[in-house]
Amino acid sequence: MIETEISLRASGRLARIVAYTAVLVISLLLPLWIRSPYLIHVFNLTLINIIAASSLRLIAVSGQLSLGHAGFMSIGAYTAGGLAKHLGWAAWITIPVGAVATMIVAILVGYLFVRLRAIYFSMVSLFFGIGVLAVNQVCEKFTGGYAGLIGVPVMFAGSKVQNYYFFIGLTVFSLLALYRIETCRIGVTLKAIAQSHLVASSVGINEAGYRVFAMGVGCFFVGLSGAAYAHYFAVLSHSSFNFLASVNMLVYVLVGGIGSFAGPIVGTTVLIIIPELFRMLKAYVPYLFAAIMIIVIFVMPEGLVGLPGQIISWIKGSRERKDTHAP
Amino acid sequence: METVINTIIGALVLSSMYILVALGFALLLSIMGVLNFAHGAIYMVGGYICYQFAVEFGLNQWLSLLLSTLIMGAFGVLLERVCFRPFYGDMYRTIVMTIAIVLVLETTVNVLVGVHIRSLPAFVPGIIKAGAISLSAERLVTFFIGGVLLLGLTLFIKKAKAGQQMLAVSQEPEGAVLQGIDIFRISAVACAMGCALAAVAGSLMGAIFELSPFMGDYMLVKAIQLVILSGIGSIGGVLAGGLIVGSIDAVLPLFASGAVTQAVGLGIIIVLLLIRPRGLFGREVT
Amino acid sequence: MHLEVIGLTKFFGGLAAINDIDIHVDHGEIVGLIGPNGAGKTTLFNLITGFLRPTKGKIAFEGKDITGKKPHLIAKLGIGRTFQLVPLFADFSVLQNVVASFHLRPRSRVWEAFLNTGTYRRKEEYILKRSEEILLLLGLHEVKNVLAKNLPHGYQKMLGMARALAVDPTLLLLDEPIGGMNANEIVFTRAAIEKMRHQGVSILLVEHNMQIMDICDRVVVINFGQKIADGTLSEVRENEKVIRAYFGGEGAA
Repeated sequence: MIETEISLRASGRLARIVAYTAVLVISLLLPLWIRSPYLIHVFNLTLINIIAASSLRLIAVSGQLSLGHAGFMSIGAYTAGGLAKHLGWAAWITIPVGAVATMIVAILVGYLFVRLRAIYFSMVSLFFGIGVLAVNQVCEKFTGGYAGLIGVPVMFAGSKVQNYYFFIGLTVFSLLALYRIETCRIGVTLKAIAQSHLVASSVGINEAGYRVFAMGVGCFFVGLSGAAYAHYFAVLSHSSFNFLASVNMLVYVLVGGIGSFAGPIVGTTVLIIIPELFRMLKAYVPYLFAAIMIIVIFVMPEGLVGLPGQIISWIKGSRERKDTHAP
Repeated sequence: METVINTIIGALVLSSMYILVALGFALLLSIMGVLNFAHGAIYMVGGYICYQFAVEFGLNQWLSLLLSTLIMGAFGVLLERVCFRPFYGDMYRTIVMTIAIVLVLETTVNVLVGVHIRSLPAFVPGIIKAGAISLSAERLVTFFIGGVLLLGLTLFIKKAKAGQQMLAVSQEPEGAVLQGIDIFRISAVACAMGCALAAVAGSLMGAIFELSPFMGDYMLVKAIQLVILSGIGSIGGVLAGGLIVGSIDAVLPLFASGAVTQAVGLGIIIVLLLIRPRGLFGREVT
Repeated sequence: MHLEVIGLTKFFGGLAAINDIDIHVDHGEIVGLIGPNGAGKTTLFNLITGFLRPTKGKIAFEGKDITGKKPHLIAKLGIGRTFQLVPLFADFSVLQNVVASFHLRPRSRVWEAFLNTGTYRRKEEYILKRSEEILLLLGLHEVKNVLAKNLPHGYQKMLGMARALAVDPTLLLLDEPIGGMNANEIVFTRAAIEKMRHQGVSILLVEHNMQIMDICDRVVVINFGQKIADGTLSEVRENEKVIRAYFGGEGAA
């Protein structure tokens, strides 16, 4: 199911670079057209979730579908938020520390669960995501528990636009790193493990080691996004990192298209922006979400990313059909 | 003494209800390889349908329970045919499908009934006195029904042809197909049964505790906890797992907070999986 | 001795799949391993390459004890293997399958790969070149961009061998290398095996098909997890026990 991107044809590569550059330029210029702080806020949340979803995909590429990713995000968030609030550390320290803390926990957890295959791993990771919040509650003196952690110092005096540019920078950094990992030999090795751990071992790949590596790197970036979120939102509560949040991240990746690097990016953007545009539907919004999901799985086998390709094939196909019907 | 007996009964009630829900989930997982995120929502809808018939339409509560069970069983057949069969073998799209189903079910209940907590009246109100000990009749009856259903299910699996086939497929899917067992038909049966059992559990639990559109999420996690503990492919293991988890959930809250209970539950699973990566009774998964 | 297996035993529950087996392969030898279905040949391979842990016994490679080591470490020592049931990197192309298998030699460190250093780029070029060579050797060059899962069975088997060669092994374990192949594919495989022998690679080979057995210097026959004969092909063919095993009415296809 996961196609490899090792052999990028020259034209495909150019198209990719052009597309990404165009998106970046538009994103950088966006605040000139969009003045509403609320919309900028939505974009900020989108960017944070793009990092989280893309990092989830890297872990999935190694054959491990994590259903507790929001739990790891909470580790980054609460570490950064807690350190900033209780010890007064500045954001530029707490954010990397939060990311590293998440990575360390992920490596331990990854190592612990490395013998679990496929669906067992998914179920355990789900349970882990919930367990993290339970542990969080037990440590409520530091984390605020169910009531939440309030009063985390914000960056840039809360300016939505300045945070927006910060998040763009963070996203670009994260995506570049994740993309590089996936396209170089490391990515090849991870995809090999996902396809057959038997064959991978027989050619000398330390399958367990690489899976832990994928967990570590993936969770570093989701921890990074969580830590940045803490300094943006200033209030941390369990409802941002619960099972539902993990499921959302997973859906962003799957609906966007797990086979492609751009999948999580497109999936996150569509599944956050569209419900926002239709938020007047209030309690009915989940129907829209579900509708998008159902349409995509029935009609787009490669996810949303595959849509342009599908349209092009359809146009080509109908042109051919017209030709064969010519008198 | 009374506390001890009531705790034991509480453990048995929780265990049997957990098992009823987890069995459907486990069957679908081992037979079709489907991680049915919607299973908790089905449990919840079962409870609400019973409520609808019993409280809104005023029917006899036991009849309502039966109707709910039948409706959800039919829903299960529909689910297998329309939602699971098209994506058989495709784990990712199946997951998205089940999540979409949860959204639809939970939102529908939320919109139609609202988020106000509702409760089913007790099926069997009142207290039973055994000597100096007062026991809730409702809980006793719930456990009794749960036990009877599980017994019936065990008999079905051991004696009925469909049951035997189900066992075969869940333990060894490839071998069963080679023997000519129609996987889709068995899946439909398993799905129907799973949904029906979940509906029963939802109605009974709705009478003891309360109904809310999101009560299914909790049960889903319990089902997963159970299946992880027992392993995939073992139906008897689910019973054992259910007793363990139900007992923990009934006993531990007496001594520690809810969060600690959850954390301990997680800890036990971790320790177990370190020793035995495929659960207590599970089969190898490729 | 290149590979030495002493007193190897493996129990599954109460059943001895492998029972006190002694086998050796000398440097540069091609040793054939034959026996009826279920005799334990693949189990033996799995034990030697670390996919299974023996209950008793010792496995030594170039004098060093490798009993119970993990598969990827055994590959690192220079033992390559193919699998009977041909698992593959199914969604990779033929070429990608081989390129991915060049994990050990030359070895790139993780940060070298990430930072795209000059060393890394040179190693990758070398790997690409060597991969193409291996594909040419095995006649897979024309299908190099086909996805592995779309290959016909015989090609998939040869791809398995290509992967084993990428490990740059000094000992090659081939599990039914020509099973299910047509005459043309067998020719390629034979040529590849001859070339390996020419380069000094020792080979332990499991096969049913007698067409390849003449390539072996020595043949070991096992049945019910035990060794029942060990010698040249003609010696073994005359051995009474072997005749009984193969023509005594059980196991033979």
